[in-house]
Amino acid sequence: MIQAIKNYFTFLQRCGRLVFIGDWRYFTWTGTLAVFCLLGLNAYCKQFAHGLITTGMSDQVSWGVYIANFTFLVGVAAAAVMMVIPVYIYDNEELHDLVIFGELLAVAAIIMCLLFVTVDLGRPDRFWHLIPGLGQFNFPASMLSWDVIVLNGYLLLNVHICGYLIYCRYQKKLPAKWFYYPFVFIAIVWAISIHTVTAFLYVGLGGRPFWNSSIVGPRFLASAFSAGPALIILAIQVVRRVTATVPSGDAKQRFAGAANPKTVASRPATLDDLELLARFLPEFDSVSKDVRREILPGLAVLDVPAGDTFLRQGETDPHAFFVLKGQVVVEREESGRYRITRSARPGEQFGEVSALAGTPRMATAIAEEATQVLRVPSDALRKMMKSPRMNKIVHARMAERLMITDRALMILRNIVQVSMLINVFLLVNEVFKEFYSGNLHSISAKYLFVGLHGHHALVPWIWSAILLNLTAMVLLILPVSRSLKWLNLTCVLCIVGIWIEKGMGLVIPGFIPTPLGQMVEYSPSLNETLICLGIWAFGLLCYTLFLRMAVPILQGRLSKANEGQPEDEVLPVLAANSSAQN
Amino acid sequence: MSTPTPANGMDRRSFLRTSAVLTTGLAALAASLKPLMEMNDFPTAERFMQKYYKEMTPADMDKVLKRITNEVEKQYGLRPHVRDYKPMDGVQYVYCLNLTRCIGCRKCVHACVAENNQSRNPEIQYIRVLKMEDGSLDIEKAEHDYDPEQVPEKGFFYMPVQCQQCKNPPCVKVCPVHATWQETDGITVVDYDWCIGCRYCEAACPYWARRFNWTKPEIPKERLNPEMSYLGNRPRRQGVMEKCHFCIQRTRQGKYPACLEVCPAGARKFGNILDPNSEVSYILNHKRVFIQLKEEMGTSPRFFYYFDV
Repeated sequence: MIQAIKNYFTFLQRCGRLVFIGDWRYFTWTGTLAVFCLLGLNAYCKQFAHGLITTGMSDQVSWGVYIANFTFLVGVAAAAVMMVIPVYIYDNEELHDLVIFGELLAVAAIIMCLLFVTVDLGRPDRFWHLIPGLGQFNFPASMLSWDVIVLNGYLLLNVHICGYLIYCRYQKKLPAKWFYYPFVFIAIVWAISIHTVTAFLYVGLGGRPFWNSSIVGPRFLASAFSAGPALIILAIQVVRRVTATVPSGDAKQRFAGAANPKTVASRPATLDDLELLARFLPEFDSVSKDVRREILPGLAVLDVPAGDTFLRQGETDPHAFFVLKGQVVVEREESGRYRITRSARPGEQFGEVSALAGTPRMATAIAEEATQVLRVPSDALRKMMKSPRMNKIVHARMAERLMITDRALMILRNIVQVSMLINVFLLVNEVFKEFYSGNLHSISAKYLFVGLHGHHALVPWIWSAILLNLTAMVLLILPVSRSLKWLNLTCVLCIVGIWIEKGMGLVIPGFIPTPLGQMVEYSPSLNETLICLGIWAFGLLCYTLFLRMAVPILQGRLSKANEGQPEDEVLPVLAANSSAQN
Repeated sequence: MSTPTPANGMDRRSFLRTSAVLTTGLAALAASLKPLMEMNDFPTAERFMQKYYKEMTPADMDKVLKRITNEVEKQYGLRPHVRDYKPMDGVQYVYCLNLTRCIGCRKCVHACVAENNQSRNPEIQYIRVLKMEDGSLDIEKAEHDYDPEQVPEKGFFYMPVQCQQCKNPPCVKVCPVHATWQETDGITVVDYDWCIGCRYCEAACPYWARRFNWTKPEIPKERLNPEMSYLGNRPRRQGVMEKCHFCIQRTRQGKYPACLEVCPAGARKFGNILDPNSEVSYILNHKRVFIQLKEEMGTSPRFFYYFDV
């Protein structure tokens, strides 16, 4: 038990150190975010000292951009579920590698949500009045108390799922299904609930006819499920880009050996070699002596010098490999750049997917140091995998990689596409209801869409939102958005359009005119805007740091096996970059 | 820029660099925290830990009232008389307002501000008088900022709106911390020391009757009303909600609310609906038509508007 806690702290410590490793791009990015965080903190201190009068809000428009951003971000957090559903319910392989990115984004989004609610409080020092048991918690009557529960619950769920999966990957241990599967399914339902509850926050107010409409909940979900995955599409391309080692054209330069392969020393394998493998891979013990003898003739041991290539992306050859000594890095060319998808150390395999499926190699494997590997033909691998324990470990390790394929992005595109269609359809429904009947309660909608009594601050906002959403919708329907360049543009349109539609387009007009018919407009103050920017910067900073820690672990670069090795040596390429900068 | 790992130890250059980065970071942090120095009202431990109104024993309440007395005296140089008036048995307050008589002079608005120690800068007003065109009760067409030479104006009538003291108050339902509730005499009150300032109640109120202290309230010393109650007109702090409480410090002692006493037209009537001989009982029993504002909301206001017909 004590050892387990110690191990966990070593893991946290190593993750913590990763944060300080990176090239100049990384430090420029995090440094800029940190500056914005501090500007936001400074603005918040002003607000804390002088009160919310430093914002653009008033008794007439008593919620502003804080709550608007909160509402948008709850949607982003909820949308992470869209990655989880295809993976866990439909066993979608392509998205599997990306689930963690979605969930980490959810964690960052919830952190931002909680900050946005906190800065909106007039008395943040009394937050403890909200803690059940300690304060006075008006549950279940107040929808805000539901929000407190679902948001914090969602945060805990996602922290648990991501944290557990990443820690297992670090230890190269199989995650125990009972310890995370139930939580995954709870999280799916929970994700829907956080956004529904947030919608009910508005829907429940009878005195505000603009919000008091049952379509708000479905609209929230539809818009969230297009803006959220759109954000993930952009985020994982950034990840793909910055974790790439070198443009593919330079690959030859980096691995000088790969250009003119040296003669690989190869010899037939002996039973001692299998014994050596079993030492690193205890599951191999379950392969009986008879089977070992039977497959032995086909096996070979290769001694490969550092920098030499075992197999290349696109080739077909029926062998799988187990590392006996040294380290192998598996890199995949994606969008013109090489990126590490996994690292194999003694006892670990590579090349098994093509060997089993007979498909072309998905990646290129290169010896990072002088390496000894066991080459196994596919039929011998199948015989080894007749043992259930071997079968399980080989299959589990297949999933231990980090691939960001274009196909995964296209699956997300489908989600954005369908959600955007539904979102626009629901918007049309709302507009029809408000304007066709022409009753008095549609006065806020009139103010929003066409202006009222000479007030039309929100009119340009909502029409640009509609324009952005419609353009995005058209682009999503057209095949052109299958190209990444257009898809990225579409995603940006989606995100901005929905941010405006949900923020300026939903929260603010609910207050205008007031229940007594007074027209008072709202625009955020500079201080308020700085606080918002600060929170966004903080959220992005959190997400960057989460990815900084998670990516090397998912690639198998940082693991329990190399504890004691300095973290910057574990990331050879990045470390090389940063030292080149210095 | 990479931080050296402990395994290699620190060489002189990276040590200097790390300390430079650290110092700059700390200095930037300190600089961004600076506005907190402008604050003169940090919550003391005692105020921070103060219990919820309904959980206080009489001894707790005595202590709190003493503390409030001292705080007010320190700030305004005037020793107030702060009490915690409880609702009376067998009493439920009702307000009736005669729209035929109201002349729109807004005297009630200012009497209320004076009585209830509302902030003068920015000025917080509980009562909003609406100028309405004869023949229409559509408050979405009401005029808020009328300012003629003389009231009343021809062709218009005036409708003062304040907290309607609903029987089903939406504001109470939405408060996440029970900081606002309805007392047995029908008055919806706020515990100013418990409110977290989320303003959900302000969004929920269909009558726009709640007001927020967007900054530290300012009351000139000579204007302070020293007769105070805990749930009523004691000075509020920055960042909390407040609202009309039917002048709890007066009405629970059997007096009329300030807005009624000042009304030159006699448009305002106030009393106990449970007493069959009260003026409000008479009005509700004998007037043919009276209006509960936004009746269709189901809020069931204890505030009735009527016309002399």
